Order: sequence, then structure tokens, then C-alpha cells
Amino acid sequence: MTGSQPPPPPPPPPAATEAEKRQSFEREALVHLDSLYRVALRLTNNPSEADDLVQETMLKAYRAWHQFQPGTNAKGWLLTILRHAFINEYRRRTRHPETVDLDTIEPYSVFEELQDEDPQGTFFDRIVDDQVLRAIDELPEQFRETVVLSDVEGLSYEEIARMLDVPVGTVKSRLFRARRLLQRRLYDYAVGMGYIKGSTA
Amino acid sequence: MNCRECTEHLYEYLDRELTPALEREIREHLADCPPCGEHFDFEKLFLDFLRARCQAQGAPPELKRRILRQLFDE
Repeated sequence: MTGSQPPPPPPPPPAATEAEKRQSFEREALVHLDSLYRVALRLTNNPSEADDLVQETMLKAYRAWHQFQPGTNAKGWLLTILRHAFINEYRRRTRHPETVDLDTIEPYSVFEELQDEDPQGTFFDRIVDDQVLRAIDELPEQFRETVVLSDVEGLSYEEIARMLDVPVGTVKSRLFRARRLLQRRLYDYAVGMGYIKGSTA
Repeated sequence: MNCRECTEHLYEYLDRELTPALEREIREHLADCPPCGEHFDFEKLFLDFLRARCQAQGAPPELKRRILRQLFDE
């Protein structure tokens, strides 16, 4: 008895042609250019370095495009490449890791102080964009990147934790402190500008 | 749930990161507790404000041209 021959293995899928690769890269990666640029700008705090960082990220991503799993989160994949490039090549030149003890930052809300004067937070409307961006740029780096990934780019706690390689609890606590710190700085700015009187205490 | 417990989950609630059961408990507390409700509204406004102000910024058109040239025209 010879039995039936096993079926021949299926032919390997044809390698994507250069045109197909380009097409899928444009469709799934290049659409995130604005996000990459915003994150790069906040990390480097320098438009020309942000340009270079994004360009380098896109080049690395294009070369590694065969490793990207279609249907998974392309934005997260690209941001991970960007962050590694930043840590390896830019951070040393542009900024120094903070020596601030992040746990000593008191995360209290300005809401209590505004309860009588401006509980609806209308003073926020008077703060110009540049001032908001400056306040983010002044955050300690670990806080800054967490806020940007969450509040600007809308990533979930889980996605941020994976990207930064920290537990979800750390993301929560950084986000909590970063937002409160940011709120406090914008509040102080608004008081300084006379938009609100602020607490007299 | 008391006010302190509720406020501990403030950002997780606003970020939609809670389990449905806990989210419901918070929602019920907020409906019954105007001070917590106002506090949550204020924080939500703050987050919306941050998002709106920061997302306005996009990549310069020249950067996109540079990248397309580098990737596809070499």
C-alpha cells in the first residue's frame, strides 16, 4: 500500500513588490506623520531635531516594514521606533535626564482654589497655545512623554506601558502627577497674567 | 463609594480605563454628589483643553516632501 501522497506544501506567499510595499507604507505609516512630529517636537524641544528624528524614524520603519504585522497598531509601532531613536541618538545631545525626585511632587488639583472664582475653568480659554506647549516642555522627561502619549496622541495605559516598558501602575501615577503639575503651572501663569485672581492664601 | 475613593479613580474614569463595574459605581456616585461631579467636570475640561491645544500642531509640509524623496526617489 502506497497510500496517498501528502499534499505538497502551499507555495510561499509572493514577496511584496516594491510598489505594494510603498502603497501599504503610505497607507498605514505615513498617515501618522503628524503624530510622530508632535511627539518628536515635545521630546527634543527643537523643530530641526524633531524633523531629523521623524525622518530617521520613517527610514528605519520603511526598512523594517516587513516586520510590521498588518492590522496591529502602526502608530504604536512607529512611536516605539521614534522613542528608541530619540533615546539612543538625541537625548544625550539635547537634554539630560532629570535629577528631580518625581515622588516628591505633590499632585494636588487647582480645582479647590478655583471653586469660588472660576469653577468652570473658563480661564483656560485665555491661555495661548504656546504657553501650553511650553508648560509641557518644562515637565520632567518621564512625565512629559507620558502626557504626550496619552493626552496628545490618545494611547491607552496598556499601550504606553508597553512602549515605555514600565508597569501600567507607573503610567497611571506618572499621568496623574504630570497632569496636576501641568494644571498647576497653567494656573500660576493665569494668575500671573491677571486672568484670575487666584487663591489669596 | 465615598468621595475619596471616587477621586482616586478620577483620571482612570475620564480615560475610560476602568472595568464596567467600577465605572458604574463612579457614575452613580457622581450623580449623587454635586461637589465630586463639578470636580470631575473641571478635570474633563482640562483634559479636553490640553488635547485641543496640542493636536493643532502638525508636521511641516517640507518634512513630508523630504521623507517621500528619501524613501521613494533614491
